[in-house]
Amino acid sequence: MSVHLEAQTNKLKKSILSLSAIVEEAVYRSVKAVIGRDPRLAQEVIDGDPEVDRIEVEIEEECLKVFALYQPVATDLREVVAVLKINNDLERIADLAVNIAQRAIDLASGEPADIPYDLATMAEKAMEMLRRCLDALVKMDPALAHRVCDADEVVDEMNREAARKTRAVIRQNPDKLEPMLSLMLVARHLERIADLSTNIAEDVIYSCQGVIVRHNIELLPDNGE
Amino acid sequence: MKPRNKLIRQIAPLFFVLALVSLVSFSVYAAILLRNFHIEQTRWELEAISTVAGEQVGSLVAVGREDEVDRLVKTLGDRIKTRITVIMPDGTVLGDSGRDPKSMENHADRPEIIEALKGNSGSSTRYSSTTRKEMMYVAVPVELDGRIAFTLRSSLPVNSIAQTLKSLYVDFFLGGLLIVLLAVLLAVLFSRKIVRPLEDLKHGAEKFAGGDFSRRLPVPDSAEIGELAETMNRMAGELDARIQTVERQRNELQAVLASMVEGVMAVDPQMKIIGINQACGEIIGHGVSEAEGMSLPEAVRNRELHDFVGLTLGSEEAGETEIVLHRDGERILQAHGTQLRDSAGQRIGALVVFHDVTSLRRLENVRREFVANVSHELKTPITSIKGFVETLIDENPEDADKRLRFLNIIRTHAERLNTLIEDLLALSRIEQNGDVEKVAFEPMPLHGVVDAAVAACRDRAAEGGVTLEISCPPELEATVNHSLMVQALANLIDNAIKYSDAGASIGIMAGETATELVLSVQDSGPGIEKEHLPRVFERFYRVDKARSRQLGGTGLGLAIVKHIMQVHQGSVTVESEPGRGCTFTLHLPLD
Repeated sequence: MSVHLEAQTNKLKKSILSLSAIVEEAVYRSVKAVIGRDPRLAQEVIDGDPEVDRIEVEIEEECLKVFALYQPVATDLREVVAVLKINNDLERIADLAVNIAQRAIDLASGEPADIPYDLATMAEKAMEMLRRCLDALVKMDPALAHRVCDADEVVDEMNREAARKTRAVIRQNPDKLEPMLSLMLVARHLERIADLSTNIAEDVIYSCQGVIVRHNIELLPDNGE
Repeated sequence: MKPRNKLIRQIAPLFFVLALVSLVSFSVYAAILLRNFHIEQTRWELEAISTVAGEQVGSLVAVGREDEVDRLVKTLGDRIKTRITVIMPDGTVLGDSGRDPKSMENHADRPEIIEALKGNSGSSTRYSSTTRKEMMYVAVPVELDGRIAFTLRSSLPVNSIAQTLKSLYVDFFLGGLLIVLLAVLLAVLFSRKIVRPLEDLKHGAEKFAGGDFSRRLPVPDSAEIGELAETMNRMAGELDARIQTVERQRNELQAVLASMVEGVMAVDPQMKIIGINQACGEIIGHGVSEAEGMSLPEAVRNRELHDFVGLTLGSEEAGETEIVLHRDGERILQAHGTQLRDSAGQRIGALVVFHDVTSLRRLENVRREFVANVSHELKTPITSIKGFVETLIDENPEDADKRLRFLNIIRTHAERLNTLIEDLLALSRIEQNGDVEKVAFEPMPLHGVVDAAVAACRDRAAEGGVTLEISCPPELEATVNHSLMVQALANLIDNAIKYSDAGASIGIMAGETATELVLSVQDSGPGIEKEHLPRVFERFYRVDKARSRQLGGTGLGLAIVKHIMQVHQGSVTVESEPGRGCTFTLHLPLD
């Protein structure tokens, strides 16, 4: 009985890892498409999304099957719940990658425009967070997951700066409105990806330690976020 | 496993039982023998008494003094503590040591008397009505003048015989007990002696099992155990040699794998990593021992690789593909996959070999771009020249001004073509003279080089309204080729001037660190985006294509600088922050 459950949870973990590999690559490629003005690469990312959706549904069904068949408790229960939530987050990250890819196509079709903020560094930071939280998931390492949560602030700050700089460019050159809006959205999507990575890291912590660190509930009960 | 008995517990009781059985059976046998012997002895004694007493009684009867017989018998019987009876052939009792003969019944029916009257000595053991005891009787006939005159019977109570035997049996038992105790002691001692070498063997074998072959087993005297010990020693030797061979082979194999440039990874059918080598560990970002036992999706998050390994595991043929990993920067890997088989030919997974082709691909890219760039750069001025020449021929404008303008344009483009070709030639010359021997190096003060370069650029700086700020300590000396070094520095200053706005200043600084001389040129122009930095030294690589050409660059300046520094066994680096300008630095190693 428990042997079957273990086999099932292992299978779940394998699926979530392969999903994470696809999502990580999608994010990488979409950012590369923006920087390299490569609409073909962007289209590849967009075309790859239905695959992600299919795997997401599959994993969700597997999770529900585990609940129905084995009624897991304690660690097993937390693990399956974490997989279910991470699955959801990964799918949303993939959607954000598609959004970035669409912006890349828009940008490539228009006049070449300078990127007013440091997109490469920001993307690197966001992807580093994604990579770290997936590493934490693989190793089931709550310490690594905590570090991901801490890095979120940096990306938030970069997003604010990007918004400020793009606004400044628009004010100076109103004709660059469209590419600047696209670039602002790219920064925003990256910031969302960083947020979702933090969510995944929190789920990893929950899965390992059974502690819910979301929203800093224990520390700040009336946090305005 | 049920707990096993110790050998000594099995052997000692055997010895003990053996000793007990033999002791008890011998004791019983001896007791029976003793009893029989004792009874026989008693009978014999009684017979002797009867015979002696019979002779005395006979001498009385012969002289006819039968009346004195009873008194004699009583005296004798009293003296030797034996009952003596004299019985006439007709059965009447003539005398008895215990009672008055007249009150006694006829004794003719007693078995011993019947036997004695036949002429033999007779004996019997039975209950005596006279003494009311179990008695042993022995009767002998006494002959006078050739016929039996009477029989003399002597007797003892069986009780006293049993008494004697009983005390003997007690002695027997006590002695036996002592012997048994001794036997137990000896049994334990003997079993120990047998078991001890086996224990030694056990300890030795345990050491062998634990992999310690340094000591051999002691060989005991007994043939069987001695042979066993020798065989085990031989076995240990063989094992030791074999293990060492296996270990050596494994170490060799590992050394081969570890020193390979290619990454090697072995996975089992469930995609669990069986083993990787160092190069592969570096590629996937895991330690060699850390990766072992991880599943592939855990170790590397790359779907192309997962799919490729899955394909290799499922197919019979070797496969090949290109995989792009982007863990720390982009890495292009050529992966070859084959099935992994054990010595019996059974499939146990897949083997993937990674070859890092990143630099190869980049080089291919550079070459491709170079050819495209060179053609493009050459074609642009030629198109213009051709166009204007054709216009001049076809239209032959009367207007001298117009003609002059066209010719000027043609001259500009021809000059541009000329600089381009000169740059290309310079580059190929530096490359061909890349062998250090062909270039003349001389020690000289560094400020001479700086001054010459600055002098070459001064006019253009004045044109652009840019000031040059020079700081060069006069004592710095370098071993360089003067003209090449001047060209490199001038190229950098020229670039800085091109990208500086009017009124800006350019810093040219020389300095010395522990290991090298550095010459840096700092501007405050637009700077270079991070993604362009690694490529600015490539031929024809332009950060901003339109602007560069408009500024009259050939796209070869920095490539020339790079090659000049290579000839000097130094290097050139660039740092930049977009919007704040950039700094190019020439590094010259101190010998």
